[in-house]
Parts: sequence; C-alpha cells; structure tokens
Amino acid sequence: MEAILKSDLHAKDTHAPAKSAIFWRPTAQTGLISWLTTVDHKKIGFLYGVFALFFFLVGGVEALLIRLQLMYPNGTVLTAQQYNTMFTMHGTTMIFLAIMPLSAAFFNFIMPLQIGARDVAFPRLNAFSLWTFVAGAIVINLGWFMHDGAPDGGWVGYAPLTSKTFAPDHSIDMWVMGLQLLGVASIAASLNFIVTIINLRAPGMTMMRLPVFTWMTLITAFLIVLSFPFITIALVELMMDRLFGTSFFEVSNGGMPILWQHLFWVFGHPEVYILILPAMGIVSEILPTFSRKPLFGYPIVVFSGASIGFLGFSVWSHHMFTTGMGTMATAAFSLATMAIAVPTGVKIFNWIGTLWDGRLSMRTPMMFALGFVWMFMIGGFSGVMHSAAPADAQQQDSYFVIAHFHYVLIGGSLFALLAGIHYWFPLMFGRKVSEFWGKLSFWVIFAGFNITFFPMHFLGLNGMPRRTFTYDANLGWNAANYIATIGALILGVGIFIYFAVMVYTFLKGEKVGKDVWDARTLEWSLPNPPPEYNYRVIPTVHARDAYWYNKQHKEEIAREEAEGAKAEAAHGGIHMPHQSIYPFVASLGLFIASIGIAVIDHDPSPGFWGNKIVVSMIGGVVMLAGIYFWALEGNEGYHLHLDDEGNASADKKAAKH
Amino acid sequence: MRLSSLLTSTARWGRAGFALGALALLSGCDYNFWRMDGHQSTITVAGPVARSQLEVFYVTCWVTLVIFILVGGVLAYATLKFRAKTEAEEKAIPPEQGHGNPLIELGLIGASVLALVIIAIPTLKGIWYTYDVPEDRKADTYEITATGYQWWFKFEYPSEQIAGSGALTTGNELVIPAGRPVRINIRTVDVIHSFWVPKLAGKVDMMPNRANFLWLQADEPGYFWGQCAEYCGDSHAVMRFRVIALAPKDFADWVAQQTSPARNVTPKPGETAKAQFASLRTFKQNETGITDKYDVAPLEAWKAKQFPEKGENAALIAQGKALFVSKTCASCHEVRGHGAAGISGPNLTHIGARSTIAAGLIENNSEQLQRWIRDPGSVKPGNKMAKAYIDNNIKLTNEDEVALVAYLQSLK
Amino acid sequence: MSSHAGTIDHHHDPSTSTGIPNKKLLMWTFLASDCMFFGALISTHLIYRLHPMPDAPSPKNIFSLELTSFSTFILLMSSLMMALAVTAIQKGNLKSMRWSILTTIFFGSIFLGCQVYEFQEFVEIKKMTITNSMLGTTFYTLTGTHGTHVAIGVLWLILMYVRSFQPPEAGRNAAWFIRHAVHITVIIGAILLAIFATLALVHTLHTGGSIGAFFGGHFAMLAGLLACIAAGIYLARPTGPVNFGEANAIDVESMGLYWHFVDIVWIVIFTAVYLLEYL
Repeated sequence: MEAILKSDLHAKDTHAPAKSAIFWRPTAQTGLISWLTTVDHKKIGFLYGVFALFFFLVGGVEALLIRLQLMYPNGTVLTAQQYNTMFTMHGTTMIFLAIMPLSAAFFNFIMPLQIGARDVAFPRLNAFSLWTFVAGAIVINLGWFMHDGAPDGGWVGYAPLTSKTFAPDHSIDMWVMGLQLLGVASIAASLNFIVTIINLRAPGMTMMRLPVFTWMTLITAFLIVLSFPFITIALVELMMDRLFGTSFFEVSNGGMPILWQHLFWVFGHPEVYILILPAMGIVSEILPTFSRKPLFGYPIVVFSGASIGFLGFSVWSHHMFTTGMGTMATAAFSLATMAIAVPTGVKIFNWIGTLWDGRLSMRTPMMFALGFVWMFMIGGFSGVMHSAAPADAQQQDSYFVIAHFHYVLIGGSLFALLAGIHYWFPLMFGRKVSEFWGKLSFWVIFAGFNITFFPMHFLGLNGMPRRTFTYDANLGWNAANYIATIGALILGVGIFIYFAVMVYTFLKGEKVGKDVWDARTLEWSLPNPPPEYNYRVIPTVHARDAYWYNKQHKEEIAREEAEGAKAEAAHGGIHMPHQSIYPFVASLGLFIASIGIAVIDHDPSPGFWGNKIVVSMIGGVVMLAGIYFWALEGNEGYHLHLDDEGNASADKKAAKH
Repeated sequence: MRLSSLLTSTARWGRAGFALGALALLSGCDYNFWRMDGHQSTITVAGPVARSQLEVFYVTCWVTLVIFILVGGVLAYATLKFRAKTEAEEKAIPPEQGHGNPLIELGLIGASVLALVIIAIPTLKGIWYTYDVPEDRKADTYEITATGYQWWFKFEYPSEQIAGSGALTTGNELVIPAGRPVRINIRTVDVIHSFWVPKLAGKVDMMPNRANFLWLQADEPGYFWGQCAEYCGDSHAVMRFRVIALAPKDFADWVAQQTSPARNVTPKPGETAKAQFASLRTFKQNETGITDKYDVAPLEAWKAKQFPEKGENAALIAQGKALFVSKTCASCHEVRGHGAAGISGPNLTHIGARSTIAAGLIENNSEQLQRWIRDPGSVKPGNKMAKAYIDNNIKLTNEDEVALVAYLQSLK
Repeated sequence: MSSHAGTIDHHHDPSTSTGIPNKKLLMWTFLASDCMFFGALISTHLIYRLHPMPDAPSPKNIFSLELTSFSTFILLMSSLMMALAVTAIQKGNLKSMRWSILTTIFFGSIFLGCQVYEFQEFVEIKKMTITNSMLGTTFYTLTGTHGTHVAIGVLWLILMYVRSFQPPEAGRNAAWFIRHAVHITVIIGAILLAIFATLALVHTLHTGGSIGAFFGGHFAMLAGLLACIAAGIYLARPTGPVNFGEANAIDVESMGLYWHFVDIVWIVIFTAVYLLEYL
C-alpha cells in the first residue's frame, strides 16, 4: 500500500536525481529494458493494445475451431473435452484478455491526452497494472502447454462443476489464479484512472466539459472498482474449497452453489457494461467528429452512461431467471432490466441526433461507428427480449443468447474498438490507414459477423442449447449452423485483412500531419506521435469541444500558450517521472506466487522446487521486494527544458547528469 | 480515391449480394435456417406453459421490431440524407453547432418507457402463470421428481408406490399423462443441470441444495425432445431425454406395466443360445444414432417398443441375465425382480420398452445397444460406465454382448 | 523538508483539480472497493448462517465474547492513536508521531495476538476447524481476511515508522538501506516473539505450570525478544537530519484512512458475526 501511495507524479522536489547506490534508474529509451521499465502512459497503452490484439487473435482461432466443429451435425473436428476447453477459453480470452485490455489501451493512451494531463496520477502503478495483467493472461493460458490442459469449466465457472470433486486437475486452479491477477490489475488500473480524471484535469476542464470517452472511462473505472471485489471473493472461496477443503460450495457440508452464481453475476453484469461503456465513449467521439457537429445532448449522454452504470448493479439476477428464484425476485429483476433499456435507448437517440443535419464524412472510423450503432441496436433489442423472464426461460442458455451477446460484444464493443483504432491511429503513429482497405475490411467484417450470428437467433428459438459440442442431424439446426460457420470464416478473413492492413500501415502507411480528421477534442492539438511529455504547455480549456474552440480562437490560445510556457519555465521545466523496474518485479512476484498456488502439485515429491509452498513463498518475497524497492526509490523525477522548436534531448541529458 | 468510391457503391450492393449468397447456400438444404419447427422448437409449442412464454416473446418481438423500424428508419435516413457526397463538401463550412433539445429528449424517454410498459404487463402475468400450476388445476396435478446425474436423468413417480421398492423409477424417458398439469420437482445429485423440454415449457435449473420445480402440460399425446441446458461437464451436449405424453388410458396401462417387476423369459427345455455372431459394424464418429421413424411418427414407434419382439431366444436371454450380474452391471443398475439393485445408474427394469438409450442419445435397438455396451466412452465421452469398465476390468466378448443385448431388449 | 513546518495546507493541494491530494483520493477509492470485498464476505457468512446444517455447531458455544470485546476495544484505541499520529505529523511533530505510531503498532499487535489465541482455542479446544463445518469455513475466512488486513496495516505502520528515520539523499547511502531493513526486521521479530511468548505464558498458566517453568522453558524466545527490543531502541536513536516531515503528512494520513477503515470493518464484523448470535 505504501508503495502505491508514493508514486506521485507531483513530487515536490526539484533537484536532479543523485546517482543511486541501491536503486537502479533505467534510462533506456529503446530496447526491451525501455519497455519493461516504462512509466509513460502512451507506451503502456500501446503495450496493452499489443497484448490485447494478440489474445484477440488467439480467441479468434478458438472461435473458428468451435464453428468448424459445429459446421456439420456430429462434427469430429474436436473431442468433447477439447470443445469444452475451446468455448471456456474463447469466452475468458475475449472478455478478459481482449476486449477489456483493448479498452484499457485507449484509457491509457487517450484519456490523459483528452484531459490535458502529462501522465496518469500514478505512473508506476500503471506499469504494475500492465504487467500484472500480462502475468494473469499467461497463467490462464498455461494449461495449453501442460498435461492438465486449459480450463474447461465455462467462462462463468459455475460451482460445483469447478470444485475439486468434479474438476480435480489444475486447469481450474490456473483459471482462478489467472482471473485473480487480472482482477488486481484491473482494480489498480481503475483506481489510477479515477484519480487521474478527477484530479489531473487541465485548468478549465470542468467535469461537464470532459470528452464523453473520458466520462465513460471514469464510469467504467468505478464499475471495475466496485464490481471486481465480488468475483475476487467468489474466486477466493472457490480456491479455499479447492486448496484447503472448506465448504463454501461443497454441497454435502451445506454449501449452496447458487451463491457462486450470485457473487459471479454481481460482478458479471457490471462487467457487461465495463465492456460496452468504453465502446459507447469511443463512438460518442467519432460520430461528432465525422458529423462536424457537437454531440447531441451531451449532459444526457453522460447521465445516461452513469445511470447505466448504476442500474447495472441492480440487474444481475436476470442471468439467473431459470435458477428458481421465485416470482417476486424474478419480477423485480425483470423490471429493473427493462428499465436499463431506457438510458441505453437515450444514447442511440442522441447519436442519431448528432448525425442529424451534420456533414457526415464517411471515413473508415465513421463506418465502424455507424456499424456499431446498428449492431448494438439489434443486440439491445434481443436484450429487451431476455428481460421478459417468461420468454427468457426458453432463451436462457440457448443460441439465442449467444446471438444476443455477440451482437453486443462484437457488433457493439469490438466494432467501436476497431473504429477507435482507425480513428486514433494517425495520432498514435502519425500514419493513416488507406480508406480503401479500411472500408473493405469493414464490409467483410460486417457481412461475416451478420452471417455468423444472425442465424443463431433462429437456432436458439429452435431449441439449440449453448456449450454443446455436437448435435444430431434431425433437429433442424443444420442449415443455420452451416451458414454460421461460413460467416465465421468470412469474419476471420475480414479480421485478417483489418490487421494485415494495420501492420502494413504501421510500417509503411501514408504519413499525415496533425489533426487529420479536423477533430474536436484536446488530444488532436498534439503533434503525432505525441511527445513523451504530451503537452509543452498545459492547455487551458474554454469549452466542451476544447480543440474545436481553440481552432476558432487561434490568437487567444496562442497568447495563453506563450504565457503558459513562460510560467512553466519559471517552475523549472516539465517534470517527468523516472522509469522503474520495480512494478515489473512486483508483478513477476505475483506471477511466481500464482504458479506456486495454481500449478505446482501439493505433494512435495518433485523436490524442493516442486513444493507448492516454497514456490508461493518465493513469489511472495519477490513481490514484497519489488514493492519495498518501489516504495523506497521514491517518486523523484527529472525536468525537461524545451527550446522553441520543442527540442528536449540536450537539456534532458544535462538534467540527468 | 476513385477506387474507394467504387468500393462504397459496390459495398451497398455487396450487402444484398451476401444475403443472396446465403440464400443460395440454403437451396441445397432440407431446412431453411429461419424455419423453427424442429423437435426442440420454442415456436411450435405443445402446451400452455410454453405457449404463455411464446406469447410474451411475441410481444417483445413486435414491440422491438416496431421500434427498430422507426429508429432504424430515422438512422438510415439521416445517414443517407446528410452524407457529404464529395470531399469538398466534407471540408465545407461546418453545420450549425447545436447541442441538443431537451424537449425531444424527454419525449423520446417517455416513449421508450411506454414501450417497456407494453412489454412489462404480459411479462408479469407470464411470470406468475408459468411459475406454478393454477389454483383451479391443482387437484388434477400429477407429480413427478426429475433428478439430474452426470449425464442422464432419473424420473420418479411418488404416486406410484411399489411394495418393497418405493416409488416407480425410470430413466431418460419421462412418461406423463396428456391434458393434465404435471408438476415436476427438479433435483440434482452432482453438478447443476437444467430440465428443458422446449415444446412444453422453458427450462428450470437443477440446483444442488435447492428444491426447484416447474409445471408443464401436454395438450395432446405426443413424443417430445428435451435436453440438459446448463453446461455440466464433458458430455453435457449428449445429456438428452424424451417426454412421452399419453392419453389417460394409455398412461394407466403404462403405469401398470412399469410397476410390475421385470419380465421373465423362461427357456424351454433343450433350447440353446443361438446368437447371431455377425460382427458389429464400425460406427462413424459422426453418425446419428436414431433412425427416421422417430422423426416421422415417433409416438407410434415408441408404442411399438412396448411389446416383446418376435423371435426372442430365451436361452440367450437367460445367458444375458447371468452376465448382467457376473459382469457387475447389477452393482450400478436396478432390474427389479432380477436381483439387480444398483442405484448409481439408470433403472433398467423396463429398458426394453424405451425408445432411446444413453440418455436419449441413440435409438434403443440391438445394434446401437451393442455399440453402447461395447464401448460406452466412445458414444458418451467421460461417462461413468466407461470408467467402471476400466476400474472393474470388464471385458466382454462378442457373444457376451449379444447375450446382454438380447436380455436388455427383453425387458419390456 | 521539515523546514516548511506550518506552511502546508493539509486540506487543499493546489496541484490537483479538486484540491484533494491524489493519494487521499486513491485511498478513498480503494476503500470503496475494499468495502465491496468485505460486503461479499460478510454476506456469505450471513447467508450460510441462515441455512445451517442440522448438525451445525452453535456459535454461542464457541465464541468467547469477553476476549473479543477486549480486542475490539483495543482496536478502537489504536484508531485513536492513529488519529493522534496524523495530527502530530501535520504539525511537524515527528517525535510525537513516532510514539503514536508505535502505540498503534502495539495495539494492532495485541489485536492480532488475540486473534491467534482465539483461532488456536477454537481449533484445539472447541474443535471447530475451517473444514469441519460451514461456520468454521465462513468464520475463519472472514475474520482471517480481516486479520490479514490488520497485519498489512501493522506492516505498513512499521515501514512508515522506520521510514521516518530516512536520512536525506538516502539513495546514495547503501549502509542506510541495510540499517533500514534491519530495523524493520527487529520490529517484526519483536512483535512475533512477544505474541508467541504471551501465548506460551497463557498456555503455561492454563495448564497449571508456574511462571518459573515458563521462563525456564522459553528462555531463548524471551532472550530473542529482549534483543529485538534493545536493537529497536538502539536503531531509533537520533542520527541527524531526516527526510521526513510535514510534507509526508499525506502519507501518514492515507495510512490512517486505511487503518480507520479496517477498524470500522471490524465493528461490523463484531456485530454481524459475534453480537448477532447473542440477540
């Protein structure tokens, strides 16, 4: 805890760092060390993105295998056990290792730029979140390379199927510990974002002037902070049952497996909004930019986001309509779930209002954003159908549900994230994706997605349950399954085109100047790619669409900037935090400890290194050492002095001795 | 740029093209994907509970469809109308920088609330109606207990007590009286399962330490497909069952037959076990184990199973009966009256009269039964019978298999 | 650093948008999250309390309300000392802060010792283990999690106390680093040895042994305890200027927020787990 509190960007001291006898002060700007020790929110955001996209591709391959297995009745591509592993890992990977970290990539990269900050409030904590996320991702996926195999308990991990009795091998342990690490990472990152948004806003950036993406970041961060504890406790209880023989979900000792479902979904439903609110934020940035109009009804969009987040905590049991909750509870959760459709609908109305009377420029990000609105609408409507509990009794755990949440998660979250990548790519890398290839990938993805998932509505209504590795030919499911698989292959091609083009553009794409879209928010006032200190002068904000205002009032802004630069120089230049390896060390310790808890066998027979307790203790010691050094190295930084061209390197070297 | 504008215009046609392509794919199939009249359809329902649930679904469907057409129409109109056609138009003077209109917002919120109220009323009615048997039908209700096992279903009839062995117990085929409400107690012995017969009622989960129930009713006699709907481990996908609704008289006959002990076939003096040793063919892994007759006239096919087959070889059956005990089958399965009283597997007292085996997965005929007895693990991955074979080192010769099959088929 | 005593406004940090220091805001948000952790655990306990097994042990026969009331009181007193420590450092009074923190550590350790004693008694005499009943499962998990929070708090207090001896330019001074580590170790050693010695003393008296027998049997333990205390006093002697003062008040205050929170959670646990059984 102390460690966390010490990583304060706003260190009071102004002296250059002394050469330390104890602490390693890495200064590498390139190479592996620079990435392992970076505290720059942009680099961390980039790394989040890279890892997320890698796991997105892994999850995609798992999805394709699932679809190939189901292409024909009684398919033989996978065995039952392999299939169960695939859908478990597909769900876990896409939710926790692809969509969430991809959102986190944007939180990290874009949000501090949007509020006119130079970094997040706790840069080293940010690095810790990243590496803990990576550690968790590895732990979850370790099973692929082990005898026990990857987890196969479903992404919801319902007890008692995940208890020691029914899942005696280590795969569930790895799933549990991996998710615990991801929880630590997500909570730590979210605390950081909350403090950053509330406390590091540029002068004049009032809460009601925050860009909507930043608002949604804030709401999402609150949802994470308040909902992740529930899954953490659920996982703790499951792990206690598995390791120490407690009885939380042990039926013979009075355990009630329904408790797992309640704890899981008190987390799980806010999690749905954790996945969709950032996407809504991204779309609320893109639509105004490409309509060349401000967002229609900004305050209502913000409040509807907040009320979605708030109501999101009161509807969890709609995932449990078939567990026999009784009429009153079912009715209450049914009505609450319907109520949540109102703020969601409000957002759609406001997006349409934004388009109305605009000058819509149909660039690739806009295409994806409009695709989002359409697909999310369909997903939202099937969601309303689920809220009607009697109808849900037939739809629950059928392919209708699969169709619904893929419309929300792919058509919703993923489309918006893909839109965001296109939208901010020029800012991040100074290059722009070709319109032709961008639009081509959009249409292939759009078509593939709908061909895959639209027939699933009919499959579900025709009685096909989810999580089934096989089906008979006489149930009327053949055609829809076949089409869905063809669609999945098309979707796969689309995603391949998208990323191939992205990699090509990263290396050789067309170079563009700043503010390529004539955008409205503050991050576009920066050169691309943004310098490590972001803003030469902390901007002063005068209006909601801050940069749009700046572009209309160039003289006033230039005057302010000159004054600001003078004041900044008088304060000793731009304060920058030091790089640090210790967050990485702390995450490494957590990683080793999780391996000890989850992977190593309980019997000490494999010798010293095989002993569960020894490995866990080593991990604990490494983590404590990391935190200890992190606390003691202090939060000093160095100062940059920029010349008129913004050239900092010479001064920086001097500042560092 | 020219290329990209070409793409945009082709793309618009492309969507239609994809739709047509999908249609073309369908032309070779027996079913079109939007047809929802399969054996597990929730749309072509056969009982009041499923019908009530379907009605609620239709309300949600129509309300959302109307909203979708309205909102989608406005969205499509706005997208087409306000599109910048040229690059110059994109860069032209920006439009009026309006920030919104509270009256429109409030109006739309009000309209959405109204639409939801339209859904909420039938929803609430449906919740209470589908929860339990209506008061005026309570007296007429027939009660059954369904218990989930990994991966099969046990059905008990508390009102049909058999002296010395408790309630009538069957497995994987639930026979109910048609036209009467049936209240089913939903239990499990291991993990969570879910009881789902789509044509009769929505699902209710079998939760450990939780006394769930549901009610359903079949309007007419019929043969219905059901399946476990909650992921329950390796063979979740093949944990299936059937519900057979019979007219009152047929049901009474069935109960009478089931409550009697297992059928005995006594060999005539001098009769020898003549097994047909045609070796079992190899089954493809992706082979459907059920013949068409259960698609065409399932109830008739099921009724035909109730009577002893012609050409039974009594000596072979006797041999099978002995094997049933000596090969330890009896330690898990009960055959009432034949000295087999195991409880961890399905009750086989009248297995020969069932239409399916292996939890509704494959048809109950000699060939499929032999396939199942030979290698249960290949039919149903991870199941306990396969494990018991390994644990007890059970080896069956072809002759053993044929004898066991003859015995089990004789248990009508 | 302590040279600007009295010039820092502890209620407004001009470098942030809201005036709330970042660390304080972080701690408040973290505590909101921690509330949910305990909320989930306490709910689990209460739910299972309502659905006992037929042969479940009666909590009244297991709990010892006197001991727990005592340790609750001690924990509340530690909160008072924590508040005094924050006030002291906000006024730049380093010496007073150290004494207050040491007292807080002392009270926290008594609480932990009581918990160790309680667990030991429940397991060995009352025969309630974490595996043999649902009460054991939820009780040990819930109170154990809280105990872990207290232990982390004590560790944090120790680190903060030792850090208040940190000389300026500490990064260049490897000797100081080792001294720092030794200082922490002796305090932790003293606490652990004191807890175990007290438990052993109670055990000896319970089983009818004499004080003399206790001293004879635990000579090494007591000698170690004395050595640790002596080393702790030696290391705490003044050695010149320190890099810790009023500017660090926010660190102490954040730690205080955590400590008070853990105390409040205990009040809730004491009510929901213990007192509820005596209604």
